[in-house]
Amino acid sequence: MNLKFIIPALVAGFVVFAAPATAVSGNDALELAGDVKLVKAETDGEGNVTQTLVDPATVVPGDQLIFSTRFNNPTDQTIANFVLTNPLPSAVMLSPMADPALDVSIDGGQTWGRLSELMIEAEGAVMRPATHRDVTHIRWKLDAVAPQESGTLEYPAIVR
Amino acid sequence: MRNFVQTAGAVSVLALASTGATPAIAEGTSAGTTITNTATVDYEINGIAQTQETGSGSFTVDRKINVTVVRLDTTPTSVTPGESDVVTTFTVTNLSNDTVDFDLAVAQSSSDDFDLTNVRIFLDDGATPGTFDGSDTQITFLDEIAEDATITVFIVGDVPLAQTDGQTADVILTADAHEAGTAGALGAEYTASVGADTAGVETVLADGAGATDLAGEGDFSALDTYDVSAAALTVLKSSLVVSDPINGTTNPKAIPNATVQYCIAVQNAADAATAQAVTVTDTLPADVTYDADFGIFVDGTYDGTGGTCNTDGVGGGSFATGTVTAPLSDIPASTTRTVYFRVTIN
Repeated sequence: MNLKFIIPALVAGFVVFAAPATAVSGNDALELAGDVKLVKAETDGEGNVTQTLVDPATVVPGDQLIFSTRFNNPTDQTIANFVLTNPLPSAVMLSPMADPALDVSIDGGQTWGRLSELMIEAEGAVMRPATHRDVTHIRWKLDAVAPQESGTLEYPAIVR
Repeated sequence: MRNFVQTAGAVSVLALASTGATPAIAEGTSAGTTITNTATVDYEINGIAQTQETGSGSFTVDRKINVTVVRLDTTPTSVTPGESDVVTTFTVTNLSNDTVDFDLAVAQSSSDDFDLTNVRIFLDDGATPGTFDGSDTQITFLDEIAEDATITVFIVGDVPLAQTDGQTADVILTADAHEAGTAGALGAEYTASVGADTAGVETVLADGAGATDLAGEGDFSALDTYDVSAAALTVLKSSLVVSDPINGTTNPKAIPNATVQYCIAVQNAADAATAQAVTVTDTLPADVTYDADFGIFVDGTYDGTGGTCNTDGVGGGSFATGTVTAPLSDIPASTTRTVYFRVTIN
């Protein structure tokens, strides 16, 4: 019978110690959820291509993916200087269909800019314009996320 | 709650959906590679910097089986009747994102003129790359072929002696993807995975249609041709009365003691193989006598219009026991060589 009293006591003790730590770090202020979808193209009898987003069941090189991060500010406070930095997994490349205005890096996140403005060192110390294949990181900046505001940031990629 | 979506797509996901082309990928991510997307968010609340990470969950890149077989010969292989070890050359390229074994098979077309005999497949691993040089290894499958690797193989066979000029034989090489993993042994044939996705590596058959195979079967085939090039000789024999004892050389008649010139023309057809070691033998009728003073001329040209030998041959040949024997030089395609000699009517 004593056991019944011991266990609730341990649980209560854990909650008491954990709760102040959470409040101090503020890590509950933003809700984030990552997701990935496979772009599935289907051609009908008249040659029209329709594409749908499906869960990535079978994925092989050349397939198109949509990586997304959904955020939500559940608090009553405004979140400022929101910067989402997304390193591309090494097995994918940024799709050529990505927004040309996207803030990207081709050097591991050290320098940033539009892809069309970036140069990369080619063989023989010659500089050449960077391509989608060279992109290592993508970044989004939001000045503020208002209380109760949510949204989704996403980029298209192709399995190398 | 106010929602907004900011996408990295050119305009939106709808714009993405209208362009369906899949870019060509030079190399493929290996099957079994795990892809995890992790994003980091930095932000401030009340001026205090915060950092949070989020992941998309992981998934595994599946196995994409693709193979091409390409005929390397730019023209059909020219062969002669009875020739052994005639070669056609192919390459097999593993376009899969995994190491693969390829079972190799040779089919002979049923719509051509003949089949090769003693057909074998060799791996181009001999002393002279790209050439079947006798030091290559006979194989039935390609073992442990890495991603993007291209292997050269030879189909080797013999031509039956009965074949004639212009006949063709088609051979079709098919490479069928099998599981790698055990060196020196052909693994099980790959089939497309069915059913729901699992955490493991599924197989997708992404090959195209080749000469005799269909797309999505895990194999590819290519056709090459052997073209028989044989000598095709035609022999024409004509005679011309040169002189007679009454009229001399003016409108001579074939009367006793008249001199008659025999012309034997040997023609080789267009596109035929060069005829070698051609010897003309002609047994003379009993009522003529060989003209030893004139002799025998060989390798002259032929007047196709008049049907006569031009007198531009060189001395050659021999006469013995009533028979003229005259060896000719090699006769290339579209060429005529002649033998001419004289007799006297008894």
